Amino acid sequence: MGLDFTAITPYVHMLLAGAVTTIQASLLAVTFGSLFGVVVGALRVMPVRWVRSLAATYIYVIRGTPLLIQLFLIYFGLPSLGLNLPAFTAGIIGLSINSSGYVGEIVRGGIEAVPKGQWEASQVLGLSYMRTLRFIILPQAIRNMLPAIGNEFVTLIKESSLLSTLAITELTMVGQQVRSVTYASFETFIVVGVIYLVMTSATSAALQYVEKRWKVA
Amino acid sequence: MPETQPRAGEPAERDIPAIEVRNLSKSFGQLSVLNGISLSVREGEVVSVIGPSGSGKSTLARCICRLEKIDGGDVFLYGQKVNDGDHSNKDLSRLVGMIFQQFNLFPHLSVLGNLTLSPVKILGVPRSQAEEQAVALLRRVGLEEKRNAWPNELSGGQRQRVAIARALAMNPRIMLFDEPTSALDPELVGEVLSVIAGLAESGMTMMIITHEMLFARDVSDRVLFMADGTIVEQGTPDQIFSHPEVPRTRQFLQRTLPHYGGDVPTDERKENERHGP
Repeated sequence: MGLDFTAITPYVHMLLAGAVTTIQASLLAVTFGSLFGVVVGALRVMPVRWVRSLAATYIYVIRGTPLLIQLFLIYFGLPSLGLNLPAFTAGIIGLSINSSGYVGEIVRGGIEAVPKGQWEASQVLGLSYMRTLRFIILPQAIRNMLPAIGNEFVTLIKESSLLSTLAITELTMVGQQVRSVTYASFETFIVVGVIYLVMTSATSAALQYVEKRWKVA
Repeated sequence: MPETQPRAGEPAERDIPAIEVRNLSKSFGQLSVLNGISLSVREGEVVSVIGPSGSGKSTLARCICRLEKIDGGDVFLYGQKVNDGDHSNKDLSRLVGMIFQQFNLFPHLSVLGNLTLSPVKILGVPRSQAEEQAVALLRRVGLEEKRNAWPNELSGGQRQRVAIARALAMNPRIMLFDEPTSALDPELVGEVLSVIAGLAESGMTMMIITHEMLFARDVSDRVLFMADGTIVEQGTPDQIFSHPEVPRTRQFLQRTLPHYGGDVPTDERKENERHGP
């Protein structure tokens, strides 16, 4: 036996279209997940106890349950409350919420790694808590967080393959379709895997570039 | 002696102490750091606070600028009670500036960015005007040419001078210095002290927590000696350094100043030689 990639060459354009959907879904989820995650992380260090506890509970639940279950809850569960979301929207929401839990914890760590003296200097210079966070702490925290955030982005691209369970035609879903018509399972999923590898490598490289550029201080 | 009580009726501004601390107490957990401190600093006065490590002098400065929550007593700045939560950080920053041992410059902002952030964001000064003022302040601390440098490109002494300029950019009425030269290499101490001395000469109201005894002697109007969370003795530099009345003060000075000529009993001197300065 041998590998015969010619069987799937007619379907390569389909795989690439699936990859584009994966990229779209990942970019949207990374964007919303990060924005929401920064909010969760900031709440996680607020000087108000119940706010901190709320954010901590959110992170605890999100990180303690499978992404697949979170996706099912949103796509299959919410309709019983009368909320029918299109599969793609449900998938993006699920991925974003999931990512925000992880990003939130990364942001908390990043904020706590900024020396206390930065808070103190800001206070005596008249900055309020929120302005200190925005102008002084977060810009430094984000720099500390970049490597961990990079990991999270890469993880998110890979986990977007779970969107196939909602019948979203992203890369993994298309892979299954191609396999079912060509029966070239090994070849199909080798190609699918290589495409994921290219996407995650490009993301890593881009983030390493940003990290270097930001290493001013 | 400074006025400790504002007069009844409408007191003239000059009669109101710049800093007035009444019966201030502060503890960290079980450890009592300040035990009912009262003091008053009048406008334009330069007060140095000396004393052994752990005597509470840094905590005193931090309580005055509200970096520490106080447990008892009151702090008044220019007659305004600042420990009851009515003052925003902005309000307080107009009254008092603070210089830290560790400089605490913002590493992600240039020197100019460090100096203009608060005036622009908090006071609403137009950026061009804030930059003009920043350059003037940098000139005052002798670092005009470093305006576009990053904090990590500066020496410790330069960082502290930038920190002083940054505090001055908010135009506070009082400046607190919390061991401003303790984190510096010995050869960099002088440049910072001369900037502080220049400020003192310009009439700024200042409270300086320091281990630099000779500097305290030269720039201060008044010196406070603190130990165990209380003010043990205070007076003019001459009184404190040349004629201290309390044995505890004499003992401290003898340990700190290698050539201290005060009258200390022989057995105490031996004790001190064993511990060294």
